[in-house]
Amino acid sequence: MNALEVAKAALNTVEGEAEAVAHVEHSGLARFAGSEVHQPTLIENALVTLRVVHDNRVGVATTNKLGAAGLGELARRAADAAESAPPDETFPGLAPPADPPAVQGYDEETAALGPADQARLAAAAIDAGGDVPVYGFFTSAVSELAVMSTTGLSVHQRMTDATALVVAADEHGSGYAEQTAWRAGGIDPTAVAGAAADKAQRTRGAAEIDPGVYRAVLEPYAFADLLDYFSHDTLGALGLLDKRSYFADRLGQKVFDEKISITDDALDPRGLPKAFDFEGTPKRPVQLVEQGVARGVVWDRATAAQAGRGAESTGHAPPAELRDWGPLPSALSVEPGDAESVAELAELVGDGLYITRLHYLGVVHPREGIITGMTRDGTFRIRDGKIAEPLVNLRFTIAVPDFLRDVCGLTNKAALVNSQNFYGERYPYGVMAPAIASERFPVTGVGSKPGI
Amino acid sequence: MRDLCAAAVDAATAAGAEYADARVVMKRNQFVATKNGRVERLSDSESEGIGVRVLLNGAWGFAADRRLSADGARDAAIRACTFARAAPGKHSRHLAPVTPVSGKHRTPVERDPFEVPLEEKVAQCLEADEAMSGPGILVRQAMVRAQREHKLLLTSEGTEVEQELIECGAGIECAAARDGLFQMRSYPSAQVGSSCQNGWEYVEGLDLAGQAPRVAEQATALVRADECPSGVTTVVLDADQVALQVHESVGHPTELDRVYGTEASYAGTSFLKPSDLGSLRYGSELMNITADPTTQGGLGSFAFDDEGVPAERTPVVEAGLLTGFLTSRETAARIGAGNGGSMRADGWNRMPLVRMTNLHLEPGEGTLEDLLAEVDDGVYMETNRSWSIDDKRLNFQFGTQIAWEIKRGKLGRMLRDATYTGITPQFWGSLDAVAGRDFWRLYGMTNCGKGQPGQSAHVSHGAAPARFRNVQVGVG
Repeated sequence: MNALEVAKAALNTVEGEAEAVAHVEHSGLARFAGSEVHQPTLIENALVTLRVVHDNRVGVATTNKLGAAGLGELARRAADAAESAPPDETFPGLAPPADPPAVQGYDEETAALGPADQARLAAAAIDAGGDVPVYGFFTSAVSELAVMSTTGLSVHQRMTDATALVVAADEHGSGYAEQTAWRAGGIDPTAVAGAAADKAQRTRGAAEIDPGVYRAVLEPYAFADLLDYFSHDTLGALGLLDKRSYFADRLGQKVFDEKISITDDALDPRGLPKAFDFEGTPKRPVQLVEQGVARGVVWDRATAAQAGRGAESTGHAPPAELRDWGPLPSALSVEPGDAESVAELAELVGDGLYITRLHYLGVVHPREGIITGMTRDGTFRIRDGKIAEPLVNLRFTIAVPDFLRDVCGLTNKAALVNSQNFYGERYPYGVMAPAIASERFPVTGVGSKPGI
Repeated sequence: MRDLCAAAVDAATAAGAEYADARVVMKRNQFVATKNGRVERLSDSESEGIGVRVLLNGAWGFAADRRLSADGARDAAIRACTFARAAPGKHSRHLAPVTPVSGKHRTPVERDPFEVPLEEKVAQCLEADEAMSGPGILVRQAMVRAQREHKLLLTSEGTEVEQELIECGAGIECAAARDGLFQMRSYPSAQVGSSCQNGWEYVEGLDLAGQAPRVAEQATALVRADECPSGVTTVVLDADQVALQVHESVGHPTELDRVYGTEASYAGTSFLKPSDLGSLRYGSELMNITADPTTQGGLGSFAFDDEGVPAERTPVVEAGLLTGFLTSRETAARIGAGNGGSMRADGWNRMPLVRMTNLHLEPGEGTLEDLLAEVDDGVYMETNRSWSIDDKRLNFQFGTQIAWEIKRGKLGRMLRDATYTGITPQFWGSLDAVAGRDFWRLYGMTNCGKGQPGQSAHVSHGAAPARFRNVQVGVG
């Protein structure tokens, strides 16, 4: 069954107001370490979430038992849940029928990749590592999402995605590279591994530096990670309504450097396109920051109803199990700048740091946008406008608004960086980010040397 | 379940696998969350399927299928073998030998969490939610959860084990905002409360509604509290924060797969080396860490791990010396010690990984007051708020929701935004007191991430308040 058929079958088991969200996944991930595959995972799954509404009482149930008995049990559990809930007068109702925009994001050749292909593409990365052992994966998947409801809503999308990710590392150094796309043909595992191995070679003999505030260039991997974490509290409507967003009471104000413009654009074919959200509401591009001015956040139906005053869903409802997180951006895109390359950004910085990738970010203070974390797999000093000697991994504790307030420049091309990590069901998303140079990157400590 | 596992194992061995195991897993979750007096989420989810793992020509293959049918089992086995046959690399993987076992295990419960009506769960949340209301409180949240995991593992070596693990948990949280400050307070832990392998009696014992007024009062006070000053000082951590400190700076680095680098591309590696076993000084002589999957109520408790290895209590750090790793059969064979016993998978469609079971800081002596009494000037920190640690698990920074200054052995003014940072062995080396068994509590967390594709493990840590000297508080 495809996702639309699964959703329809689930909806047919219910009398009264209901919505069915079906998700189908066929995926393969060939994970390797020390240049051999050690954890391959091939998944075939399909599941459906039923949301029933009885007089504003809302209950949700999910199953992957798609036979008649399983779906009947699903309907009973969803109804039980609804009957157990007090009426919610703020419930905005199920989404009306919609005609989502046509998007790209599905590729037959990617969908056709099987276990032997995934192993072959992992092998290409392994071979390209050369003398430096490689750790990472090649993965590809086809997934489907369908939303149907008793309002007459019926939307369906097939998606493909593929990622090659490599940490090249030995006892003396480590480097990182990654490519993500909805067309596997657009990914070159050999190039990814080669870039990671080259960087690993350049991190040997890493030195320490003193804590302090440095100028810094962040590669797209690092910038995307920082922005993704910042977005969790600041760029969703629930964070705004709960006052933990940095944008609370600041919408319309200049909060960042005028070189910074950020949208959430799930329709962008350069990303991992989505036509609608988990309520079936069509995706809209949302201007979040325009030339440094805080313009908005993303919304779902519940937060829009809560806010009132004309707020509307922008098509950012999360899946049911994440509904209490509220709507979140899933296609962040930073407008590129003028710099031809990271080397040009290094020239702008003159004296500072060059950072490939971040690790284990933690939100220290959501309202202030303060995040801590470590650099990893390619941290260097910038001296005299050139990327110079390697550095050990650095701890930073950074107020993201301060980092974005004085921007030296951005590269003129953005890269798609995978943000999913593939927990739960496959729903590929990422951040389109250029490299960025900023006046302020506070280093608060030093960690271990790069390498295994 | 047994027949499907047998069909999968037979199909795999017929396709050339020298080793195969099959797990059928049926999992059900209920989750109720309220926010500001209304039900925010009320869900009841289930998932089932079969995961088949094979060793073929020394290479791993793993495939999972939701269909609990002969076709689904066979297809998964064949796909796992197809991948293993195509897998690049040298491949000479071996498993530590084990004696095949058979057995059944079920979490003992007084009141099955799934027999508790949803109405009762909603009412518990709403009562606690209401009890947090008051001037200055912006957001009130309460949640309860329940999980049942029924699984059967069959291996080509003859192991056959069936387990039903039941867990439940609860928590409350509220937030206050004032003049641009935003502060949160949680009970019994942040991040969806705390959970336990137990019956509903565990949730009832938490007394969410009874604790709610204190939680709200502290949140309101925090937005008026002074910021925690920076400096090197003595820190006393509550048991909740000690539990997370154990998790991040002892649990993960002692996972032997990380030591061997197999998590390098995501969660990271470890500052430990296999040769450190028995010789590395991890901390002071007061530091005793035990991995114990037999702990009653622990989220990492089981009778057999997901390789069928029987549960066993294992010392990891004794009197500050590293004496054990958390292992799988493969990593145990590689280091030449033990036979595994820490392998768990996040459901039917994930491959088992080395995961913490229940990792405890063994209790010391005395009370929290005794710990404070020997501090002339320091900070007492309670309930984790933020956490971060480097890929080798050396450099960490944690923040807590609330803190108090300690002056001349007594708690003084309340402080907000407290953080501390350190390097793992030095930090544990500065441990100079752990409170006694009466203050030792079990904390269950459900969000331990690892693996690609990502897996969330449920794990518990027993801990008591502990005191550390010369700690960097604030970011310097």
